[in-house]
Amino acid sequence: MPILEVSGLRKSYGSTEVLRGVDLHVDAGELVCVIGPSGSGKSTMLRCCNLLETPTGGRILANGHEVTSATVDINRLRQDIGMVFQQFNLYPHLTALDNVSLALRKVQRRSKAEAEAMAQTALEQVGLGAKAGSFPAELSGGQQQRVGIARAVALKPHVILFDEPTSALDPELVEDVLNVMRDLRHRGMTMLVVTHEMSFAHAAADRVVFMDGGVVVEQGSAADVFERPRETRTQSFLARYGSRRS
Amino acid sequence: MESLIQNFFNLEIYATVFPHLLRGLWTTVWLSALVIPLGAAVGLALALGFTQSGSRAVRWSIVGYIDFFRAFPPLVLLILIYFGGPFLGIELGKVTAVALAFVLNNASYYAEVFRAGLEGVVKGQMEAARSTGLTRAQALRHVVVPQAVKNVLPDLVGNSIEIVKLTSIASVVAMPELLRAARDAQSLVFNPSPVMLAAFMYLALLWPLTRWLGRLEHRRARR
Amino acid sequence: MTGGDSGFFFTFFNLAVAKQYWPNIAAGMLVTVGVGIAVVVTGTVLGLWLAVVRALGRRALALPIVAFADIMRSLPPLVVLIVLYFGLPALGMPLSAFAVTWLSLSLVLAAYAEESIWAGICAVPSGQLEAARSTGMRWWQAMRWVVLPQALRRAVPPLTNRVISITKNTALGSVVALNEILNNAQGASSYAGNPTPLMMAAFAYLVVFLPLVVFSRWIEQRWQRR
Repeated sequence: MPILEVSGLRKSYGSTEVLRGVDLHVDAGELVCVIGPSGSGKSTMLRCCNLLETPTGGRILANGHEVTSATVDINRLRQDIGMVFQQFNLYPHLTALDNVSLALRKVQRRSKAEAEAMAQTALEQVGLGAKAGSFPAELSGGQQQRVGIARAVALKPHVILFDEPTSALDPELVEDVLNVMRDLRHRGMTMLVVTHEMSFAHAAADRVVFMDGGVVVEQGSAADVFERPRETRTQSFLARYGSRRS
Repeated sequence: MESLIQNFFNLEIYATVFPHLLRGLWTTVWLSALVIPLGAAVGLALALGFTQSGSRAVRWSIVGYIDFFRAFPPLVLLILIYFGGPFLGIELGKVTAVALAFVLNNASYYAEVFRAGLEGVVKGQMEAARSTGLTRAQALRHVVVPQAVKNVLPDLVGNSIEIVKLTSIASVVAMPELLRAARDAQSLVFNPSPVMLAAFMYLALLWPLTRWLGRLEHRRARR
Repeated sequence: MTGGDSGFFFTFFNLAVAKQYWPNIAAGMLVTVGVGIAVVVTGTVLGLWLAVVRALGRRALALPIVAFADIMRSLPPLVVLIVLYFGLPALGMPLSAFAVTWLSLSLVLAAYAEESIWAGICAVPSGQLEAARSTGMRWWQAMRWVVLPQALRRAVPPLTNRVISITKNTALGSVVALNEILNNAQGASSYAGNPTPLMMAAFAYLVVFLPLVVFSRWIEQRWQRR
């Protein structure tokens, strides 16, 4: 059974329909990358998965629970669905350690000692164990995003959603974050990543989903989508943005 | 409930006292119109003195003045000037006493606002202006002060609204502004309705200004 | 009664009168400080609560709060005081001068506090709330631990000025016979036929509020640097 299953997802803002019936799924341990032009609805689709946006139609199942149900306990569910943001959204008034441990203490009600130990482990996992006492303002963009990843990882979710995690980073800092993501993949985390990093998607993803105009145009293995695209829209998108094997 | 209306929303009494209150409102308005520009001018002068002076003594005494009058309740200042003056042989008319107390008090708030505004103007502005040959005074007048005012316009407006509200204090020394007019009417008709009517009139005058202020602040926050 | 320098001092700094009435003024100081503290506590707490309720986003709740804040900021505090002073007894709730002064000034402070804190809340990027909620926090948890700490940091400097301004208005209590500094001083002055108590009152107010003003300057600078 897939960890995350999206069926017929629709989303409208007033009279504008941004998602027109999206179908995709992510199996356990898979890294699925979603690519596509700006405005294709990729981020909206991702944000529907943990109800940061409310779908206007369709169904989303996460780990067997129906996210789109009217009686969903969204706070329970969000502990199981991690999210990493393009703008990091770290809490500026808290240290890296506190950023990561806050939900552990307040949502999962763990003791301070236990939460901080778990947070420290998560930070070490992303290579920032030594920066636990630093504030976000003292960290580079790449370090901040890695703390953001640690914050999501610490809750031990079944799947992590990445919303263009490297788009706001200076080019030289992008690789650090991608390495952390590759490492997560090797540890067996299920990941759904919206990204513009084509080479990363090509090399690291198990499957790639190409979205355009609010629907999934094409999906398949990374090799299939990048090297043998079937649809013309996919072909012209890839031609514009290029795809290099890394 | 019935007695509430009878006592506070008595339309007959409203009609009777309205002309009287209207005269009081007029006093409130011209008193504000007198004090606001004076207070702002003194405040601006103080702020300029503070930001432009190289002398520590000058700066410290200006801060001293500002903090002194920020700490001093305006009502007490007014009473002191109005009732204490005669003991010094100085007979100030009501208007003079009120104006003096208000300007002394309010110039300190204006000074704070202008100071923040002036300090918020990038130093490079003055440098650029001087580099084209403008004198210090010209640079201030045409380049720095206009920007400072633009930056703190909401605070200036807010402070001015405060002055209009402050005029109600003058009722204590029997200045015939709106609140005094209402209190006098109240003792004549043995009914507190006039005070309620005065409250409505203050709202009618100030609520739109407060809303406008909110919009100004909102616009500034978005920049 | 006036004349040369000795006349001035005899009039305004009359030691005999001062000696006689300083307990009077001191008692007034206690009342002034007491009302002041009470107003700050209830005003800021009420303002904070109103801002948080407004942040819930329900129009039915937000509109009355905005109306309250607008009205309380548009009315002179003295008018609020007098309306409540005469109004509450008519509603069957006669309050002491202390209570009425405390209530009116608290309502006024709450209105300003609500606006300041609300502005602070709006200034916190929406991504903060999203990030907190995405980790499973309930709305009020996210407010308490993530949004409000940041909002309050922005709200405090302008608020400290407001707090001082409004607590100085405890002097207005003299109009409804509250036995604070000014009222006691006025009584003493007319009793003694000498304005020295008024000077003492001025001095007493400075003793109470000047430290506050200096403190608020310090707070502004400190919060600015963060």
